[in-house]
Amino acid sequence: MKTRKRLAIVHAFLILFALALVARAGKVQVIEGKDWVARARRQHFFAGSMSAPRGEILDASGNTLVESREMTRVAVALPEVRDTAFVLKALHHARVDADAVRAAIARRRRWIEVPGLYTTADVASLSKLNGIHLTPVLQRVYANSGGIKRIVGSLDGQGNPLDGLELALDTLLRGDSGKVRLARDKDGRALDSPDGWTEQPKAGSTVVLTINNTLQDICERELSIAVDSLRADGGDIVVMNPHTGEILALASSRVGKTTFSNTAVTEPFEPGSTLKPFVAASLLENGRARPTDIVDTHNGRIELDGRVITDMHKAQSLSLADVIRYSSNVGIVEFGQRLTPRQKYETFRNLGFGMPLGVPLPAEASGTLREPKQWSKQSSASILMGYEIAVTPLQLVTAYAAIANGGELLEPHLVKEVRSIDGKVLYRAEPRSVRRVMSGEVARTVQQMLLAVVREGTATKADLATFDVAGKSGTARRTSQNAGYVAGSYTASFVGLFPGNDPQYVVLVKLDNPRGAHYAGGDIAAPVTQIVLRAALAARDAALDREDLAASEKTAVAQSQVDPAGHTNSVAEVKFVRRNDAEGPDRPAQDSYDPNRNVAKRDPSEGTASYVIELPASLKSAAVAIASRAIPDVRGLSVREAVRAIHSAGFRVRLIGASTAGTFPAAGTIATPGTLVQLSRPLE
Amino acid sequence: MGLVLGVFVLVALAIVWRRTIGIGQSERLAALDAKRIGLEGERARLESEIRDASARQTLGATVERRLGMHIPTDKQVVILPRTTR
Repeated sequence: MKTRKRLAIVHAFLILFALALVARAGKVQVIEGKDWVARARRQHFFAGSMSAPRGEILDASGNTLVESREMTRVAVALPEVRDTAFVLKALHHARVDADAVRAAIARRRRWIEVPGLYTTADVASLSKLNGIHLTPVLQRVYANSGGIKRIVGSLDGQGNPLDGLELALDTLLRGDSGKVRLARDKDGRALDSPDGWTEQPKAGSTVVLTINNTLQDICERELSIAVDSLRADGGDIVVMNPHTGEILALASSRVGKTTFSNTAVTEPFEPGSTLKPFVAASLLENGRARPTDIVDTHNGRIELDGRVITDMHKAQSLSLADVIRYSSNVGIVEFGQRLTPRQKYETFRNLGFGMPLGVPLPAEASGTLREPKQWSKQSSASILMGYEIAVTPLQLVTAYAAIANGGELLEPHLVKEVRSIDGKVLYRAEPRSVRRVMSGEVARTVQQMLLAVVREGTATKADLATFDVAGKSGTARRTSQNAGYVAGSYTASFVGLFPGNDPQYVVLVKLDNPRGAHYAGGDIAAPVTQIVLRAALAARDAALDREDLAASEKTAVAQSQVDPAGHTNSVAEVKFVRRNDAEGPDRPAQDSYDPNRNVAKRDPSEGTASYVIELPASLKSAAVAIASRAIPDVRGLSVREAVRAIHSAGFRVRLIGASTAGTFPAAGTIATPGTLVQLSRPLE
Repeated sequence: MGLVLGVFVLVALAIVWRRTIGIGQSERLAALDAKRIGLEGERARLESEIRDASARQTLGATVERRLGMHIPTDKQVVILPRTTR
């Protein structure tokens, strides 16, 4: 009885215990179930965001300029480290900066971020060590080019854009972050699980620029050599396709300054004589002059509104074409008086000066173009010579592109295409005309004037042997912030159209404050243009249409103009010439502007300042100087040898069948190079 | 009762075994994914180094100095017109 009673009590306790368990289980499962499930999920899973890979930036040919890659950041949590020496050794073995960690340990830091980023493969061996924390980080990798970096800009440490296209096109490049929920094991490491889920990030769009990487490289290299050898403060080179407005290269250099922006877009300058062709265009467009009209240039000196304007080489009179060819200040001022101040202002305003062009680069400068009501007495003449007006190199190139393409001012653009990650084209740039700034006929006439500038004017050093180059040099005094124009400080520039008759490039070369005997645009900027063009011709892909180029080759190779000694002008030789230019004996500058040059000489009572210009060539010799020569005697030579001999003499050859062997014109006839010589071989 | 218990244990073992296999495969997948990302990073780094090393700015000075090469004059560049067929 006693035993049964005890058993009943035990059973009762067991039943109560079982009921308690069931009740507790019921409470956990039914009443608190959702909380516990949530708690379990928090322990077993974790959610996070996945940063989207930033879009790539490519050049016009598809070469990668900027891309993102995943790297690893290494951190050490010192309290979690069991064996410090072992960890240091492992870090050293993985080529991680163990010294920085050692120094931080000495300072008793608990959390140590190792400087730098490492590839995942390099630090894979560290992932299982206690106290080592590896965090994946997307790193932006830029092409190793200063110019490209200035165009595309950069990101800060958190991946936010700071400047350049990275900032301007951030909404396109950054993509959409993804979300992820992963299971985690007992050590907290992530595991894929059927209960997890992933919302994949959407990578940023790919931006294709109009920049041609090869041409950009050429421009940066030649600019660097020029700035270095001429001891200039800096310079810019801009190349544009005049038919589309595509910016093909944008190189800038500033000595001793860290610039993050592209100065070709952000720093305006007084362009000097490079504006004269637009004055000529305006005169022609408004019917105020013809290219052959002649003005009295007063033997290179006039006094106007209380100052003296002079040319270095004196001429009694010059035609409008010759004013451009020899960059005559007196001539352009004389011709410019036929335009009203409003016409002058509108000419420059229509070319886009004084307002931003709208390229997607932050801090684009608008330049300076004052309205006529703000002009002083001298402004009307100054603006004709490219003073009292400031333009960016890109604005100037865009304006010259209008001359090159028949009169349309095109909107310059840097972005050629934007593609989504799946290759769908989201945006494609099309050439967009802003306005017609001159008629096609006027554009062609001005282009012919610019051809003459390079053939026999102030910029012969830009000329090529096999292609025509058109262009205009400029040399402008530079100002300082407080002192006005600074003696001996110049901006030398040259804007070239290549090829001269059917331009594919508009090239601007600008050099700031070159130091040396020569500072004129025709002396130092034109040769840089020439070497850029040569390098572009020799490059495999420099955005040139070679089929069109072949059609633009000169029919006569005027060797004497370009290469009088018949030498091969190697890069080294060109550099040598440039260095001689900078350091060698003085010789007359070709195209200079020096308001202070005569200030010391002038009579103070006159209250005048002087403008001076040097002319490089005799004004009498307007005709192209191509030496005529005799057609060689090829009798007795094989056909191959005969063709070679005639070609070597500078003539073109056509083979014809005839009863007798010989040439027409006959051997010994004096003819200009490029003449077609018919070589007859006997019919068999 | 014993049979039920036995079946329960077997099913439980099967589930644990299946999960263990799944976790193992998941770890291997995660390791391979990390390796893929690492290799892609490495590829990008090497491509970037190749680009920099073959850039005109790097090569230009070297080939001029060591090999005596130079940019040809425009006369030395021959552009062949495309023949019409």
